[in-house]
Amino acid sequence: MYVNRIGQHFTFSSLSAKTLCILILFFLFLIPGCRTGEKWHTSTFLFFDTVCEIKIFCSETASKSAEQEIKRVFSEIEGHFSPGIRDYASQPVLELFQRALNVYQNSSGCFDITVAPLSKAWGFFNGSLHVPPSNEIKALLKHIGMDKIKEENGSLVLLPGMELDWGGIAKGYGIDLASKSLIAMGIIKGFINAGGDLFCWGQNPDNQPWKIGVKHPRKRGFLCVLAVSGLGTATTGDYQRYFIEKGTRYHHVFNPSTGYPAKGKQSVTVIGPETLLCDALSTALFVSNKPEMIIEKYPEYGALLIDSNGRTSVIGKPYPFQPLK
Amino acid sequence: MDRRGFFKTMLATPLLAPLLLASKTTQGDCELYLIADSPQLFISFLLEELQKYGIFTGRNFTLLNSHPQEKELRQILSQKGWTYMQSPAMADIAISFSCLRQNALPSFTLVRKGEIWDIRSKKLYSLWKEMNENRSPSSCLTIASLKDRRARFFYGESVSIFKDGRRIETASLKENQSKSFSARKGKITVVVKDRKVWVSESSCSHKICLYTPPVSFAGERIICAPNHFLLEVQGRHSIDTVIG
Repeated sequence: MYVNRIGQHFTFSSLSAKTLCILILFFLFLIPGCRTGEKWHTSTFLFFDTVCEIKIFCSETASKSAEQEIKRVFSEIEGHFSPGIRDYASQPVLELFQRALNVYQNSSGCFDITVAPLSKAWGFFNGSLHVPPSNEIKALLKHIGMDKIKEENGSLVLLPGMELDWGGIAKGYGIDLASKSLIAMGIIKGFINAGGDLFCWGQNPDNQPWKIGVKHPRKRGFLCVLAVSGLGTATTGDYQRYFIEKGTRYHHVFNPSTGYPAKGKQSVTVIGPETLLCDALSTALFVSNKPEMIIEKYPEYGALLIDSNGRTSVIGKPYPFQPLK
Repeated sequence: MDRRGFFKTMLATPLLAPLLLASKTTQGDCELYLIADSPQLFISFLLEELQKYGIFTGRNFTLLNSHPQEKELRQILSQKGWTYMQSPAMADIAISFSCLRQNALPSFTLVRKGEIWDIRSKKLYSLWKEMNENRSPSSCLTIASLKDRRARFFYGESVSIFKDGRRIETASLKENQSKSFSARKGKITVVVKDRKVWVSESSCSHKICLYTPPVSFAGERIICAPNHFLLEVQGRHSIDTVIG
């Protein structure tokens, strides 16, 4: 009887141990989705002359690796594409040039990375903002046009007086590279927002699509909210960098065919799978008089336009632009 | 059949409970119930009228289950400018189908927060009367769950100031105040007045921060990149980040 009780006792103990082992194995191996120590991490960096905000869901260690990776990618982008750097032969420059050339062709020249001489003449590079004489603008126009650039022996060849301004595409390119790296590292949700150019993936902390507030170009507060996931966005507006002279607003988005700031719109926000294209298309649509003709060449992209009278319209793919209550 | 009778008929629907549950998971603000063999003849008109009441906005729809008139519904809504969405999360209207236990006179009603909502505008009343009197009984119940997707914003409670990515100060928006901070390019002055915040002085070159209008809603921010300076209004957030 006693032995029997001891025997029963031992049997019970060994069962407990077995159950425990099974439970441990279950938690370790049978629930691959269960990730321990993961939480939301937010950080800000300064790149591209703006504040970059990153929010990712991962472990402490992964967060540190992700920060390092973003800094590495953004530093590399700055090294190739910052104003004043004359890199015409590196692989990223040649690759991005081809992408920019494609948008240049599809937008009938409304997006053009050769507008740097215009930005300089208007004082947007060094802060000496002024309206240049019309003959100076006219003379500069002969240095504008991506079709004038040739690629010879693995290098871009620019005509004398030409200069490149990668500001309308490089940030988006950097965000795409960085977000791809983070996703490859196993980070399943987050966003990278570099001064208004953004890519978000997965869900937000409330397990909903990411809610992105779009600033109103004139008034206080927001214009609308985007509820998106797995998409990039970029905005071009006349309110970001501008000066007012004799009652007229002059901003930094130039019409490459006139040499003057583009007219007719206050802001353009583009949504689509690649931030690079959102970035370039937002400029192209801002400049163009017929934005519908450009966006129809990009069926996966949609845009929210605000014209100079403050009227809002949506063109292209109808992404959820939530109006305000 | 009056509205009460109509609602009673609907409650007899065996699939109503799971469908209501389904419509709840899509966070619908109210449901439009439509009894008709050919709902495609009425739905776009009804939805247009309901939009005039401000019940919902947007023109995206989805179908939650298989509907006998699915092809026709999609066709008519697309023709009238509505866009079909695969994901219910992206849709302003989630349409579902249920079969009534017994045939009932064609009709429609709107249920908002569990209560029948009076929508007897002249146009809707004449449509309702026409359906009731001239159409043959039907067992086809179409439920359109309407979602108000308009975003809501909240005034902030405080402002947090970040320099070089680190929070250096948090100030209440309820107290009017002005404070200067040393920054990379010299100094930057922040003013809080009447629950609004703005930059009144900055040593940066392009003065974007100075031209930015005052901010007051939770989540709004002003950035001065040359000074590595950011201020953000804190409070009940309805957004995750800001662009533009």
